[in-house]
Amino acid sequence: MSTNIDHIKEEHHHQPSGLMRWITTTNHKDIGSLYLWFSLLMFFIGGFMALIIRAELFQPGLQLVVPGFFNQMTTMHALIMIFGALMPAFVGLANWQLPMMIGAPDMALPRLNNWSFWILPFAFTMLLSTLFFESGGPAAGWTLYPPLSLQGGNSMPFVIFSLHLLGASSILGAINVIATILNMRAPGMTLMKMPIFVWTWLITAFLLIAAMPVLAGAITMLLTDRFYGTSFFTAAGGGDPVLFQHIFWFFGHPEVYILILPAFGIISTIIPAFSRKKLFGYDSMVYATASIALLSFIVWAHHMFTVGMPLAGEIFFMFTTMLIAVPTGVKVFNWVATMWRGSMTFETPMLFSLAFIILFTIGGFSGLMLAITPADFQYHDTYFVVAHFHYVLVPGAIFAVIAAVYYWIPKWTGKMYNETLGKVHFWMTTIFVNITFFPMHFVGLAGMPRRIPDYAVQFTDFNMIASIGAFGFGLSQLLFVYILFQTLRQPVTAADKSWEGAEGLEWTLPSPAPYHSFDTPPKVD
Amino acid sequence: MKSVKSTITKLSIVVVAMYGFSYALVPIYDTFCEITGLNGKTNEVAYTGSDIEKENRFIKIKFISNVANSAPLYFEPAVTEMVVQVGKPYNTHYVMKNNSTKQLHTTASPSVTPGKFAEYFKKIECFCFNQQTINSGEVKDLGIQFVVDNDLPNNIGDIVLSYTMFDITNKVVEADKL
Repeated sequence: MSTNIDHIKEEHHHQPSGLMRWITTTNHKDIGSLYLWFSLLMFFIGGFMALIIRAELFQPGLQLVVPGFFNQMTTMHALIMIFGALMPAFVGLANWQLPMMIGAPDMALPRLNNWSFWILPFAFTMLLSTLFFESGGPAAGWTLYPPLSLQGGNSMPFVIFSLHLLGASSILGAINVIATILNMRAPGMTLMKMPIFVWTWLITAFLLIAAMPVLAGAITMLLTDRFYGTSFFTAAGGGDPVLFQHIFWFFGHPEVYILILPAFGIISTIIPAFSRKKLFGYDSMVYATASIALLSFIVWAHHMFTVGMPLAGEIFFMFTTMLIAVPTGVKVFNWVATMWRGSMTFETPMLFSLAFIILFTIGGFSGLMLAITPADFQYHDTYFVVAHFHYVLVPGAIFAVIAAVYYWIPKWTGKMYNETLGKVHFWMTTIFVNITFFPMHFVGLAGMPRRIPDYAVQFTDFNMIASIGAFGFGLSQLLFVYILFQTLRQPVTAADKSWEGAEGLEWTLPSPAPYHSFDTPPKVD
Repeated sequence: MKSVKSTITKLSIVVVAMYGFSYALVPIYDTFCEITGLNGKTNEVAYTGSDIEKENRFIKIKFISNVANSAPLYFEPAVTEMVVQVGKPYNTHYVMKNNSTKQLHTTASPSVTPGKFAEYFKKIECFCFNQQTINSGEVKDLGIQFVVDNDLPNNIGDIVLSYTMFDITNKVVEADKL
């Protein structure tokens, strides 16, 4: 081990500067920053696409874009936000925090780490370039259901290859995370003493390793169906398009927990810090996370209740889906119990975490409504579904990322953000996110279908409200960028332990955290 | 670093195994559909058994047709409904016309609704067992001979037999080139 650390140190001395520093870096903090900046860029590209969608939906009828382009926007918005904004953001946080939290000098596989990141810009260049094709970008939805996806334009192989690259990047990143957590913890840090964020990421990494190869298989079958004459999903050759939906959602449902479990870890870190109490029910938190991960592999068909399934299948998937509410309920209970009689203060990271608990729970409840098979026949492919998954992904996953950035930025940079502006950012974001997505519940229940650029006139008012909210939400995030750059221009003033109630090894390091931390492992008792 | 290597090895095996699992889902799904009668898949080869007995029960069979991807074909059942005696073989046919100016190769995909009764609908002879070649403007009768199994449960209402006709000319021509 020690020889390896010396080696890394030596590399540091000959470190190139400028652009080459970032291209060749193997430092977990550099790579974490790259991931986070990349994620922010993708968040704005994907957000811009969302605003095109909302602008078109401001009024019924077709105003701004043609339906084909609208479909490309819904497809690309989802792919960019899931694979470009959220997943890299969580990997970036993992890169920054995991080694510092477990007392390791770096990630276990630094070169692989560099590679996992640098695959991303190429994959997204390829994905985004399809928008400039004559036949346009992918327009069959991010789920790429055949037969529609097999009938699309020339973008299809490009989308599939870029998804392969993104999958490879995620798998490499996940292997790195697991290898780091299992092998490089400080002496004395047993598994059940690990910070909860480390636990949630360990479980997420296992989900990635189990789910991403299945996606790779499904899209490879699409590719061979289209170009090499196989008939996995083409009915003309004896295949079955429904099979794709099964394989896709076998990946897809674990994928949605890949997007939320690290967020649970972040919230479980921040709530105790600002309640000045230990996390309530640490063990049950760990077991709840593991249960959610295991259940995620046996609920996939609840995404496709209307596709035609035996009654026994519908009932099985309905009850297993509802079962997930139990470990999730344990988590929400533990967060609330952590705050109970705590000395709470309401700095920006805490505000985002509190909003997370309330708004994510709303998204969880609408998920339970969708789990009820007979009711789902009414809700399926309506705006109610759109409202549901945006509630769990925007004020859920994205709020957690924002909270994490506010919480750890003094450790990363040694500089404190402007608390007043942070609070303004919080209130604007929270108000607008609800203005955007809450009305979607109503139009969805009333029957407005998703992924269609036009709608019946009775849905106009709620759609106008949602569009205004979306533009407000988008503008609020420009304030976030302003706050980030303003913070970076501050002098270094942050204390080593930037928050009074913060716990964990990362706060024993100086702020900003030195380029190489924990060259000698700390003792954990 | 030895333990890191062993972690990587184990995880890589999981990755490869899960990739293989995605392909394994294809036969698993087919078997599952066969057992549950899902998707109304009918027998893919001709029924040649002789254990079906005539019964004094009658059931209505409805025939419907689809043409996939707006192919230039006329494809309709000759009769849209038949009341048949359980256990007795019957003949009927579909009519297909090539409305294009080229020779076309086609194949039909059958489906029975309700799906769980598909196993009782036995095809003795069916155009769906083979591919068709049809010249420009040609009209063809495509025959079916079927029998309804006397194991069929009582009180099930009507059975609908649907065929979707696919134009597979491009695939056939490409395969011939190889």
